[in-house]
Amino acid sequence: MASALVRRARGSAAAAPALWAAARGVASVGSDIVSSAPCVSLQKARSWDEGVATKFSTTPLKDIFHGKKVVIFGLPGAYTGVCSQAHVPSYKNNIDKLKEKGIDSVICVSINDPYVLNGWAEKLQAKDAIEFYGDFDGSFHKNLDLEIDLSAALLGHRSHRWSAFVDNGKIKVLNVEKAPSEFKVSGAEVILDQI
Amino acid sequence: MAPVGVGDTLPDGQLGWFDADDKLQQVSVHGLAASKKVVLFGVPGAFTPTCSNQHVPGFINQAEQLKAKGVDEILLVSVNDAFVMKAWAKTYPENNHVKFLADGLGTYIKALGLELDLSEKGLGIRSRRFALLADNLKVTVANIEEGGQFTISGAEEILKAL
Repeated sequence: MASALVRRARGSAAAAPALWAAARGVASVGSDIVSSAPCVSLQKARSWDEGVATKFSTTPLKDIFHGKKVVIFGLPGAYTGVCSQAHVPSYKNNIDKLKEKGIDSVICVSINDPYVLNGWAEKLQAKDAIEFYGDFDGSFHKNLDLEIDLSAALLGHRSHRWSAFVDNGKIKVLNVEKAPSEFKVSGAEVILDQI
Repeated sequence: MAPVGVGDTLPDGQLGWFDADDKLQQVSVHGLAASKKVVLFGVPGAFTPTCSNQHVPGFINQAEQLKAKGVDEILLVSVNDAFVMKAWAKTYPENNHVKFLADGLGTYIKALGLELDLSEKGLGIRSRRFALLADNLKVTVANIEEGGQFTISGAEEILKAL
């Protein structure tokens, strides 16, 4: 019942009670993204050799979000249709406009390993504009309640399609598509108007 | 589950695959391997170096020789989703015979007893590096590597055994 309330609230971009949501670790406007997912790190997209050279280091969320204005978007999977053809290009093509609005970094995150993500980011020629991070075991998305079971599409547990504007760790804007195949609210054009 | 070995029956399972018409299919291992001589080889991860630069090319380049020795199917399996396997397969335009099959949730690799925990490398539970030869579902050769090395699981070893 409670989670259904959150889902309805999320769909209309109105906040569920922020305190309760933050306590549950659910992503919502007003919650702190770092404390919603304590002890979670992401893996920067990289080649295997880079992984070896950095001893497979991971990036704690506070390094990504503290003291920065970040636009972050999540998607179900590297090399899949909407993700490749619409979602990533939307941010790649609007990177200058986002920077003009004071955004420090644009992050793409998905439940993929960092090597697959690196191969994909290079194929899309998007690594200059966007930082790609892997949430290989889904813990980031699970903590933020942005996970969805796409086993029917043979993908397993993946991320919803979503976008957020996070200012010094505080979620100011959160857009989550009603279905991962849709691309209505999570693109760059939408969030540019919301920043 | 103990790792699959010589004399065992190849377990059945469902693997994901984008077919020649680019349609996402679930294929059964038994459907592909029954009454046939098949090579089944597994790798820890698409887009990682040993897999991409050595293990897979070996089977692609030796595919004609394998077919000449009676192999009907050369099946590659990895714990990756079918979209990733399709993209990875596209990086080998010269490939005519190797089928890139997706064990997206790792269930088939678990059925083979060949899981490898690579979580500290950011990969999660993956497949060990291996190559099997199965004749009408009976495993006749089982070359399974320890760790990520590449010593016995290549195409040459399978060719020698044929």
